[in-house]
Amino acid sequence: MRDQLRSELIKLRTTRTTLGLFAAMAGLVVLAVILHSLLPAESLDDPSNQLTILGRGEFLAALFAGLLGAMSVTAEIRHGTIRPTFIVTPQRGRVVVAKVWVSVLVGAAFGLVAGALAAAVGSAVLGTRGVEITLDAGDHIGLVVGSTVAAGLWAAIGVGVGGVVRNQVPALVGICAWLLFVEGLLAGDLLGLGTVGRYLPGMAASAISGQEPGTLLAPGVGLVLLAGYAVAAALIGGVALSRHDID
Amino acid sequence: MMNQVDEHEPTDIDADDAVARIRSLTKRFGQLVAVEDLTFSLQAGTITGFLGPNGAGKTTTLRVLLGLAEPTAGDALVFGRRYRDLGDPAHRVGAVLESNDFHPGRSARDHLRVLAAAAEVAPTRVEDVLALVALEDAADRRVRTYSLGMRQRLGLAMALLGDPELLILDEPGNGLDPAGVRWLRGFLRRFAEQGRTVLVSSHLLAEAAQTVDRVVIIDRGRLVTTGRLDQLTAGGATLEDVFLDLTGPVS
Repeated sequence: MRDQLRSELIKLRTTRTTLGLFAAMAGLVVLAVILHSLLPAESLDDPSNQLTILGRGEFLAALFAGLLGAMSVTAEIRHGTIRPTFIVTPQRGRVVVAKVWVSVLVGAAFGLVAGALAAAVGSAVLGTRGVEITLDAGDHIGLVVGSTVAAGLWAAIGVGVGGVVRNQVPALVGICAWLLFVEGLLAGDLLGLGTVGRYLPGMAASAISGQEPGTLLAPGVGLVLLAGYAVAAALIGGVALSRHDID
Repeated sequence: MMNQVDEHEPTDIDADDAVARIRSLTKRFGQLVAVEDLTFSLQAGTITGFLGPNGAGKTTTLRVLLGLAEPTAGDALVFGRRYRDLGDPAHRVGAVLESNDFHPGRSARDHLRVLAAAAEVAPTRVEDVLALVALEDAADRRVRTYSLGMRQRLGLAMALLGDPELLILDEPGNGLDPAGVRWLRGFLRRFAEQGRTVLVSSHLLAEAAQTVDRVVIIDRGRLVTTGRLDQLTAGGATLEDVFLDLTGPVS
């Protein structure tokens, strides 16, 4: 297994994809935090709103970690490297497990950087606007740790999505659409589903860093739920990829 | 349609002797029958040409043999086992199915490092196979910049990483220049002379005739003939004559 993990790590380090995803995420984190910090000053005094602004790091890290995880499968199918990969390691489950662990590791690193970056940029911008930061050290730790954990688990969900969908563009578009639109619609209760929205994987991810305490789940509950989603997605993706013929 | 199965060379070698053994293999994709009741085997120390028109089912057969696709019926065994049950596949079988199974933005050396790690092959072996296929100088270039011939050589290098006993190559001559074709022929010959085994699919019959000891010819998923090349062409016919005679005119 160690060699399998090493192989997957080399894959991530030897193309520009990982760096490209990381740079896009970091750029969007800065942009999103700045844009949210331009809201009317009176609404920015609310600690819950401050938490939401600084939590943009977690949201974008979860999204990009999901894309990273999905691409660990779909990019191999797209470029055909899945064939040599499975010829060398015909136990496909071992390949998927290695992809999950490596994606979780790198996804968590994305989350750590995005969480810290959002907190730093948000505090700086709010500070220059004269808004008093009412979040304490515990809130900041929650944001960074929550972002790290959420992104790591979303990377595993991404691997699962990649294994089921296999085709790169639909997999990536699907993850983006889900996190950017579908969950927002469901959680916004436009469809009359009540509080079901808070059980969705994106909302569970946000809950881990303690956001919207009245609406979302408690951090611990969000963590357990998201971990459940991650394990289920990775298992289903692994089974789907193991059963399917490779062209 | 005659089945020119060679009487002196039984196609059904005992499982113990056969390096690879395809038994009554059928593979269907929905309504399409890609391979039907195909049986042949490979003997150690030989180069077998796997020949057939485009769409005859050669690549499908190789995919099943390598565990990439599941057979609909029958089985395909290497060293007496299903491919995925080989304890150490990279050290027993090396294979290239497509000439372009590379990430365009990754260098040749990094492709080899990725597979060397998974195959538990020493890193020095990467340099060995790069030298073997004469890609040392281009090893750090992204594969995007490679010609088809260079990609073929990189694929061969990947297949050779584990120093395998059986080499399976799908159309390895495509894109090679004349010097490359001659080099490949010599390489495969030396490989087989060490008692190792080669299965090479091709539709380049003139080249195959210069390279292989035995042929397996299939058409529309079915076996047409198998046997030693010198016996098939004994009456003065060329491999091309035999092939076109058996597989019929271009449809």
